[in-house]
Amino acid sequence: MNCHAVQTELSAYLYGELDFASEEALETHLADCAFCQLALAREKAWHTTLNSEYRDVPLDLLSTARQNLRSSLTGESAPKPARASWRNWVGTFGFSPTRWSLQVAAASFLVFVGFAGARLIDSNSLPGASEANGTLAASVLGSSSRVRDIQSNGPNGVRLIVEQIREQEVNGSVEDGAIRQLLLNASRESNDPGIRVDSVEILNSQNGSDVRDALLYSIRHDANAAVRLKALEGLSRFPADRNTRDALKFVLQHDANPGVRSAAIDLLAPSGRTGITPDLANTLVEIMRGSPDDDYVHARCFEVLRTLNTSLDAY
Amino acid sequence: VLVASQANVIGHVGVQSAPERSTEVDLIRAAQRGDAGAFEQLVRSYDHNVLRMAFNLLRSEEDARDIYQEVFLRVYRNLPKFRFDCSFHTWLYRIVANLCLDQLRKRKVRKEEPASFEIGTGEVDRFQFVPEQRADVDPQRQLMSAEVNTRIQQVLGELTPRERVVFEMRHYQGMRLRAIGESLGVTEEAAKNCLFRATQKMRAALGDFV
Repeated sequence: MNCHAVQTELSAYLYGELDFASEEALETHLADCAFCQLALAREKAWHTTLNSEYRDVPLDLLSTARQNLRSSLTGESAPKPARASWRNWVGTFGFSPTRWSLQVAAASFLVFVGFAGARLIDSNSLPGASEANGTLAASVLGSSSRVRDIQSNGPNGVRLIVEQIREQEVNGSVEDGAIRQLLLNASRESNDPGIRVDSVEILNSQNGSDVRDALLYSIRHDANAAVRLKALEGLSRFPADRNTRDALKFVLQHDANPGVRSAAIDLLAPSGRTGITPDLANTLVEIMRGSPDDDYVHARCFEVLRTLNTSLDAY
Repeated sequence: VLVASQANVIGHVGVQSAPERSTEVDLIRAAQRGDAGAFEQLVRSYDHNVLRMAFNLLRSEEDARDIYQEVFLRVYRNLPKFRFDCSFHTWLYRIVANLCLDQLRKRKVRKEEPASFEIGTGEVDRFQFVPEQRADVDPQRQLMSAEVNTRIQQVLGELTPRERVVFEMRHYQGMRLRAIGESLGVTEEAAKNCLFRATQKMRAALGDFV
């Protein structure tokens, strides 16, 4: 592979789209060619630049789009399962069914069903599932069901544990215990960040240690920055709580999102307020040492420490 | 109004967590039988990415919302005809890609490549969306970042609709070229050539800045 060929394939290489042989050839060339190494570095740089420009959708846009879709689907008639046209299939044999032949076919089918049914009932070979004892209800088959456990039950029998997911609409006050519990669960467990944001937003208006704990969980563990920011808003009501302050310090030190870190420092050290403990000041100094000079969090730490007339040397 | 998806365990809300989620095939089959809950779960598995792709391709909240609506309405209407000849992902992105391509082509015809971004509250300059990591601390860096961003927007606007869509699917959505080819109804090689043209243009435009 020469330099031109390598540089032509650099993007495909970064995207992992080269076959094994091409990738091997390219890497062999790269190992010995400083010029192509430089080209690769530049290629990586513009890829990274492009990534920094990419924007996620605003959550309210996603929420609106979902609502609109739900409204539109309400007006839609339920889609009918597609059926293969059996007349077309029959037609492939050069046979065109007439009214008379259809009647003969239907009668033959009914006779067959009668015989087959009688044989089945006589031999008592129906599976052990019974409507009467409620182990298998027709409704189980109709919705999203998942078999969780299977046990053999006699020669032809089987016992299934079926997990069924069903939707239910719940209306009521957010102060209601059951609804509050649903919201608390949703804030932690839902896979949908939109639902987690909405849950946290509603919980933010509620008091109680369970709410505070849920918010603390969100700022430490939620993968979505918007949810963590929303939870931080709610925690502004518990500024003196020790657990809250510990969690905020954790966020300040470990959260990958600069916006979340900025919100955490604003909560820990609100402008014009005193109450910065030596412990917190130590944390701020550590963060200053660890973050780049032009980082917003670095600047805020510096500002807070300067307000306290604290010098780095003092710590 | 709270809509709670309940498993047997009371209090389990929303979409099932990943390990407990029914397989996609189960969901599709249930949705084909008319199970609205399964359809909604299916939508939620993909809709964020679909909306993000439309939003970044079309740079308009309104257009992205329209595409989202049209995509999932088409999925809803045609799901009973889905026969698993390809993956659901490919089938879905075929619809998304075609709708976005149509919209981009219409814009090309109208020579419409706005220098501003349209959001719910009105139009704003794209410069406002430059990531503001250290904006207040380093104005020089902010200016540079804005310049790079403008250049990126320019060159993205200069790509042909197909190059734009292929680039979006590969670079931002992380789709493999084979899947992109299937979604666009072209060969993997054609998708690769298209991506190659797009990356050449991006490299030429951004080379001075990186």
